Amino acid sequence: MSTAWLIARDELRMMVRNRLAMIGMGLLLLLTLTAVVSAWAHQRGIAELRARHAQAAEAAFDAQPDRHPHRMVHYGTFIFRPLGPLAAFDPGVDAFTGNSMFLEGHRQNTANFGDVRQSSLLIRFGQLTPAFVLQVIAPLLLIFLGYGVLARETEQGTLRVLMLQGARRWQVVGGKLLALGLVALIAGAPAMIGLVAMARQPGALTLPMLAIAAGYAAYLALWTILIVVVSGFVRRGRDALLALTALWTVSTILLPRAAADLASAAVPLANRLQSDVAIARDLRAMGDSHNPDDPHFAAFKQSVLDRHGVSRVEDLPLNYKGIVAIEGERMTSSLFNRYAAASHAAQARQNAYVDRIGLLSPAIALRSLSMAAAGTDLEGHRRFLDQAEAYRYALVQRLNAMQAQAVRFADDTATDADADRRKRVSASHWQAAPDFRFVAPDGATLAGAALPGLAVVLGWLVLALAALGLVTRRLGARR
Amino acid sequence: MPTTDPILISDLTLGYGTHTVLDGLSLAVPAGSITALLGGNGAGKSTTLSALLGFARARTGTITVCGIDPAADPDEARRLIAYLPENVALYDHLSAFENADYLLALSGERPKRGTIEDALSAAGLQDRAWHRRLGGFSKGMRQKVAIAVALLRQVPVLLLDEPTSGLDPRATADFNALLAEVRARGTAVLMVTHDLLSAADIADRIAFLEAGRVEHEVAASGEERFDVRKLHARFQLGAGRLAA
Amino acid sequence: MILLAHELRLLLRQRLSVMALALLATLSAASLILGMSEVQRQRDAIAAIPAAQAEDIAAVADYVDRTKDAGSAAYYSFHPTWDAPSALAFAALGMRDVSPYILRVRALGLEAQIYDGDTFNPELALPGRFDFAFVLVFLAPLFVIALFHDLVSGEREAGRQRTLDALPRGGRSLWRRRSALRLSLLWAALALPFMLAAAWEQVAVGAILAVLAVAMAYLLFWAGVAALVSRLRCSSVTNAAVLASAWLLLVLIVPTLANVAINAALPIDQGAEIALAHREEVNRAWDIPREDTMRRFYARHPEWSPSAPLGPEFHYKWYLAFHQNGDESVAGRVRAYRAGLEARDAAARATGWILPSVGVQALLMRLAQTDLAAQLRYQDRIRSFHRRLRTFYYGYLFTDRPFDRTDFDRAPRFGGDIS
Repeated sequence: MSTAWLIARDELRMMVRNRLAMIGMGLLLLLTLTAVVSAWAHQRGIAELRARHAQAAEAAFDAQPDRHPHRMVHYGTFIFRPLGPLAAFDPGVDAFTGNSMFLEGHRQNTANFGDVRQSSLLIRFGQLTPAFVLQVIAPLLLIFLGYGVLARETEQGTLRVLMLQGARRWQVVGGKLLALGLVALIAGAPAMIGLVAMARQPGALTLPMLAIAAGYAAYLALWTILIVVVSGFVRRGRDALLALTALWTVSTILLPRAAADLASAAVPLANRLQSDVAIARDLRAMGDSHNPDDPHFAAFKQSVLDRHGVSRVEDLPLNYKGIVAIEGERMTSSLFNRYAAASHAAQARQNAYVDRIGLLSPAIALRSLSMAAAGTDLEGHRRFLDQAEAYRYALVQRLNAMQAQAVRFADDTATDADADRRKRVSASHWQAAPDFRFVAPDGATLAGAALPGLAVVLGWLVLALAALGLVTRRLGARR
Repeated sequence: MPTTDPILISDLTLGYGTHTVLDGLSLAVPAGSITALLGGNGAGKSTTLSALLGFARARTGTITVCGIDPAADPDEARRLIAYLPENVALYDHLSAFENADYLLALSGERPKRGTIEDALSAAGLQDRAWHRRLGGFSKGMRQKVAIAVALLRQVPVLLLDEPTSGLDPRATADFNALLAEVRARGTAVLMVTHDLLSAADIADRIAFLEAGRVEHEVAASGEERFDVRKLHARFQLGAGRLAA
Repeated sequence: MILLAHELRLLLRQRLSVMALALLATLSAASLILGMSEVQRQRDAIAAIPAAQAEDIAAVADYVDRTKDAGSAAYYSFHPTWDAPSALAFAALGMRDVSPYILRVRALGLEAQIYDGDTFNPELALPGRFDFAFVLVFLAPLFVIALFHDLVSGEREAGRQRTLDALPRGGRSLWRRRSALRLSLLWAALALPFMLAAAWEQVAVGAILAVLAVAMAYLLFWAGVAALVSRLRCSSVTNAAVLASAWLLLVLIVPTLANVAINAALPIDQGAEIALAHREEVNRAWDIPREDTMRRFYARHPEWSPSAPLGPEFHYKWYLAFHQNGDESVAGRVRAYRAGLEARDAAARATGWILPSVGVQALLMRLAQTDLAAQLRYQDRIRSFHRRLRTFYYGYLFTDRPFDRTDFDRAPRFGGDIS
């Protein structure tokens, strides 16, 4: 090992003496530090802002005066998607999804006010986060520092000299790998330290963090090996640099975009107008609560009357208008859920398409791994939407049930001057309604979601190691 | 016939920064003659060629190529000069013919296809090599291509930088024969070399360059050639003095 | 001319340059095809609006026809608006993937509707689009680097530089000739596919020329950077590394830093605050005397004040009035929000004067009308359309005119009003 170590030391000395290399390294460290600090501050700022908004919205809901419960169905409530601690490392799609949602009866609203529509066009150039630095920038710096590790020696003929001095091929390759690996470690360390620091926040989970750490370590190791492989394969340093830069461009810049475009062309998404119209159509087919002759609601009314053994809705022990509201909400919600599930399934197919292209690009695989573990991928957003819908449904039905039980049918249908007062129920009910609490997934779920991406990166690592074996075997043979 | 010699250098001083390379160099190469410029490393041989090509500017003294100051009008001077560098580097991915065609085009000339082939032939390149890419050529073969270009230029001045280094004796003899033809055409040839034997073989005059000036100049006219042994002793002496 | 032919042959004999040019042309063509198919999808979606809309409105008409209540018509009718892609949109899709280009609005409070989005997959939006602008801004400089990094140093390293310099038409004019040739070829690799696509999409000649000029200027910038770096007389490989670092800085790092800086320097009063305030204002109406609402409404819109006073029962004119009051109460916030967006956009454009990558992207988005300004123009058109919708329904409500099935056809249609 000492020969390999000597070679590594020589290589490192060479890098240290290269002023450009040192400037590049310093810039990378500075950039990572900036990314960690700014992404963290950004995440904290957003988390606080959303928490403040959420509190304000909850307080406003609780402070509503005595009201007819159906008024509260339309008053609705605003909820805000909280941002997990790991979002500071990789905010994923957070900026691209709306983070506030208005929940009301009869309607499923979109999540609005995503950062992407509130920022300048610069946001499309990428966001400065630790994940971005490690995924995109660190590999290019490693290429600049390492393209010549073997190619330079071949070009200058010093490889022969080394071998004539008794260094074995694997020692030469091992030494170079060691040197570049150390550089990669230094390049990755600040972001990892940042990750650990973020993990000290409450709510941070160990398993996803480990998945992220393992993923990025494997990714940087992969690039280190690839660089040594290419550098050992070609004859000239320039060729190594051009080939590696091309490889980097294709895998980290070109493929992610091309994959997204191909996926959106391959799997079309229904737009909101089309799904809204379709939902309305389905709803009409199921039954129209406004139409007194509607067969569905006629049958429903009969079943309610039968259940209570009465013949007129006025004789029901419950407010029939509330009961119809419950039934109506049940019907619309089932449709909303069906269409939302279809849209999500289409988006999941698009993502699966991208993931298949991700087999060609470890950068895509790492990105999905990283977002999945941080809980900031589409699935994370979907979890929020699902919980939001469940909460919306429960809240609306709670209010509808309140209408059925606490508002008398006679009052509800009255139009005299005092009727409005009699329809109202006590404000204490609003305070009793539970607030929305996003239930974050547990660590095992997040880490499990990261496994496919991790498998791809590790698969690449195995391939790269095989190529390294090949290059080592034929090192210096051709010349 | 021009009234002045095509290459005329008088009392030329030239240097970079505080370092003086040429220090009062005077040299004249008449038309239809070959002058060999000999000297040790650092004596200023290559700088002399640079000055003639307009790459270096004189501090004092004058330098003219057919009456033109190369520093003042390098483009015009270069139009009159054919130059063969020490290491002939050509484009490996072009054939011998294409290289010649291209370099001649850069010189502003458009010879016919047959003319180029004749020149390649005259330079000693076998016809089966004309349209092969240069990738596998030996130094001798590359030089022949470069010589063909120089021959085709038909210019009054030919500058050669160590033309025979790395050539085998047979190739050197061929080269000298070619050079004699060029001289016969009336070209003024200035050849920078280490190789006294080859210089003595072909040159009409030999100038010994030392510390930036011509220390000795010997001429041989007609059939009578240089006394190589005597010159060699002198050359050694010069080199020794330079080292001391 | 002959010399250029020679240079062309020389260049095309080099595998690296031929591959680079072919690849750039392929990428450029691929990006154009993807962009055109995306724009086609958007056009198809817009073309599909009338059919879906007819079905939807027919159902509303069936229902409303029983009561002939204009308020119900206003409440249940969704009116489509759309922002058709410009002819050049395929070249720079800009923000069209994340902001809606179809939005249905009702005559209710607009501020609760206008910020709604359309369905899109955020994971696909995250990396950005593979459009012509991306190929030009991000990838083309790398090809300039590949073809220019060894322009002079390559000849020096091969030992040919002195020979070339010594030739009458060698030296500086040779480098100029070679640079011009490489630049034109790179430009052609981008421009020829673009011109075909633009002709197909019937883009105006002026816009085509502008894009071509922008592309040339951007390539020239990078060739200039390469020329500056080559003055350092480093080896080809050092040139390549320095140039690639410059690319990394100018295209990736500085824009992201600028984004952080701009968003920090120009905080935007979150749009969510508009939504919260609007909801409070609208719902408060249920708890205050209805006359207060109407007084406030009539004060601002005296043209409707001759309307009959409210009876004890529910009336939609009151409902729509407090929705409009709600919109008007947040007008200040809306203006501030919009000013904030514009300030950020202006800051990014200012960055474009220093960063050519940002400048070119902004310019292309402006030419393609896919930038923030275009989005805001679309919002303006929605607002003006919404004003017409209100006037239309108020005409029935405030005079208690019955709303007939045929009245649905009289409703204003979006499209004619380009503000």
